[in-house]
Amino acid sequence: MMEQLKRYFRPEQLRELSLVFLIVLIFLFFGSQIQGYFSPRIFNRVTSDVAIIAVVALGETLVLLTRNYDLSVGSIVGLTAFTVGKQLTAYPDMLPMVALLLAISLGVSMGLLNGLLVSFGRVPSIIVTLGTMAIFRSTLVSYPGNKIVVTNDLPQWVLDLGRMQLFTIGEFNIRPVVAGGLVIFIIFQLVTIYLPYGRRLYAIGSNPDAAHIGGLPAQRIVLIAYIICGAMAGLAGFMFMVRYGDLTVTGAQGMEMQVIAAAVVGGVSTNGGVGTMIGALLGALMINLLQQSLLRWLVISDFWVGALLGMLILVAVTIDAVIINRLRDIWTQRGLEIKSGDEKKVIKEKESHVA
Amino acid sequence: MTIVETKTPILQIRHISKRFDTTQALDDVSLDLYPGEIHALMGENGAGKSTLIKIMTGVYHPDEGEILLDGKPIRVGNSVEAQAYGIAAIYQEPMVYPDLNVAENIFITHRSRRLFVNWRKMYSEAEDILAKLDVKLDVRMPARGLTLAAQQTIEIAKAISLNVRVLIMDEPTASLSAHEVEQLFNLARSLRDQGVSVLFISHRMEEVFEIADRVTIFRDGRWISTLPRSEFTRERAIHDMVGRKIEEFFAKSLGQRGELLMSVRGMNKENVFADINFDVYGGEVLGFAGLVGSRRTDVGIALFGVEPADSGEILLDGKVKKIRSPEQALRMGIAYMTEDRRQMGLTMPMSITSNISLPMLHQYLSRFGLVQRRGEEATAEHYRQRLSIRTPSIQQPVGMLSGGNQQKVMLSKWLNTRPQILILDEPTRGIDVGAKAEVHYIINELAAQGLGIILISSDMPEIMAMSDRILVMREGRQIGIFTREEATQEIILTAAMGQNGGVMEAA
Repeated sequence: MMEQLKRYFRPEQLRELSLVFLIVLIFLFFGSQIQGYFSPRIFNRVTSDVAIIAVVALGETLVLLTRNYDLSVGSIVGLTAFTVGKQLTAYPDMLPMVALLLAISLGVSMGLLNGLLVSFGRVPSIIVTLGTMAIFRSTLVSYPGNKIVVTNDLPQWVLDLGRMQLFTIGEFNIRPVVAGGLVIFIIFQLVTIYLPYGRRLYAIGSNPDAAHIGGLPAQRIVLIAYIICGAMAGLAGFMFMVRYGDLTVTGAQGMEMQVIAAAVVGGVSTNGGVGTMIGALLGALMINLLQQSLLRWLVISDFWVGALLGMLILVAVTIDAVIINRLRDIWTQRGLEIKSGDEKKVIKEKESHVA
Repeated sequence: MTIVETKTPILQIRHISKRFDTTQALDDVSLDLYPGEIHALMGENGAGKSTLIKIMTGVYHPDEGEILLDGKPIRVGNSVEAQAYGIAAIYQEPMVYPDLNVAENIFITHRSRRLFVNWRKMYSEAEDILAKLDVKLDVRMPARGLTLAAQQTIEIAKAISLNVRVLIMDEPTASLSAHEVEQLFNLARSLRDQGVSVLFISHRMEEVFEIADRVTIFRDGRWISTLPRSEFTRERAIHDMVGRKIEEFFAKSLGQRGELLMSVRGMNKENVFADINFDVYGGEVLGFAGLVGSRRTDVGIALFGVEPADSGEILLDGKVKKIRSPEQALRMGIAYMTEDRRQMGLTMPMSITSNISLPMLHQYLSRFGLVQRRGEEATAEHYRQRLSIRTPSIQQPVGMLSGGNQQKVMLSKWLNTRPQILILDEPTRGIDVGAKAEVHYIINELAAQGLGIILISSDMPEIMAMSDRILVMREGRQIGIFTREEATQEIILTAAMGQNGGVMEAA
């Protein structure tokens, strides 16, 4: 019974379940604290924000799985959102699809730069992306002309896309941004479970030496992870523009921290090899829900929101270190056990000498 | 094995040579591997076995010579290409992915046969392979926490799934229990019966007798002999492995044995070593001989308090002492020089001066708690002259020095702690002949000054020449202590490798 349970149920899933439970708890708690918390308006805000963070977090998770970081995602989101917004202001006739492709290809090219430096340049990822984070942001700040994009200058379809109701569930409607996020999530979930590429991401982060000796094309796999991560940040930049309309050069600044926090809270290990897409999504949901709720909760001041979020991350990581690792120990099979009692004794003796 | 001779070899190694800096790791080595044979490769540490494996698996590239597969020359550029040629290796420490499950570990390097992973099919194929190997493992469970034997089984299963033709097993039994060794041998035999050529590397004589069809012996990077097992004897093997005379430049000046400095009684560490007993006297060199994996280093770091023993007594000047940390060991006059100078022994980017003063930094502080450079420099200068460290300046980063000079810096660092007992772990590994002789000279000097020295070394001639007494370890056990008069290379190697098994009388 226990063996069967262990076989089909993993500690990671327990963790995801408890996240769902926590999210419900947060939801109910603030529902009782904040007036009109369950209103469609707040629902729309939270889901749209979560969708943007989640798309970036999903891309970031690919990179984290390979035991690398991408700190530049916030800058990529900001740069693509602003650039595409500017282009749309200048050329209002641009087709929506062209604008979307522009955003994604901007993201891809920045991800490519990160990936090349990390995988082929062999520079530690934290350094590379710390550098590109600053470079991408500076590129944005030095953008010629005035430093803002205003909603009113954007073509009408952008505004419509932001407000459009794809379909509604009761009073709550699902917007294109949210639907887009869900589609991306489903694709990523499939990729990480069913594509050889996805499984190799886990392999590389799990044991880089073995990947090297064992003949996995590690450099290429890491490079592609960065490119996809960049593409997702580019897509999120497009979603960001659609969602907010009014943009400044500091847009999405600090988003990399929210994104990494979401992934870590969702159970993605910064040591690579561990983590799921559903975890990252739940992490993004939890972080963003908490953030939005705390901002609307009058009991504590805005200043403490950041500190509370920081604490949450530390708690998540500590729980990971203590409880989940303990569970993993219970879940492991040692393998090749010897049945007969006599033999076991002999081996025990032998083992006390040999290690 | 007449069958072997009539077949054509799968893999032929032809006149391979490989050089690293000053060491000729392989010198014109040739070897044929036939289908359906288990071919044992033996040799002392540094005989070139590992280098050959790395060349076969594409990690290194030979300077000269070629590899033929089915009679056609191939170039093995990297491990991916080696796999494609059907050459796979499993190591003492298997390379599994702990976060992936067993089935994934087996199939992870496969060129994807389809776009999507068919989990059900993968599980059933993995189960089929493991069933063929007669192994019970849940293929859905992660590899994390599996025993070494189980991990090796996964590696073998992986090799089979890749249609392996030549399977290299690099000391696979070093950390296995007797039963696990037996299981592994059964696997190797069943692979052989399926026509795979198994290259089996082991130090353990009895294992080679049990499993090998043919045996090849390397020494100092050269091929010495290849014999069918029927013509193979223990004496012949040891003779071929040792083969050389002790070099002349080890000039041992026999000093007077001084007073008893340290006694170790019944020291144990679970799963590492057991029942270690010896005495260290001032003015003598106590050699620690044994093969890789004999746990000599573990005894050394236990004495230094890095990984303390579980039980047993250490007596210093007749009093029982507890050594729980290197700080305590240093205070009691014990210093340990590691075998791994790059990773653990020295701080490569820092200067000679800073490296030497590091463990004793508290002695170089001014009244205000700042490090006084003048004192440090005086010390460094002193050791530069005393050990003749060749360097343009004592401010030179240690990483820029040659191996021999690095070794001297490391020696200076520990001598500066004024130890009574100095544990030297492989003090001459990877340094050239001249520097080696100098280090030997220094060791003699130190002994003459009354230090008790424990010399851990895999270099048989070195340990023979330098030691007053030699303690031999095998698989965590102390086999015996031999005096200089008793010890011959044959005796020491026999004790270190086993075969006649019994524990010898301690001298």
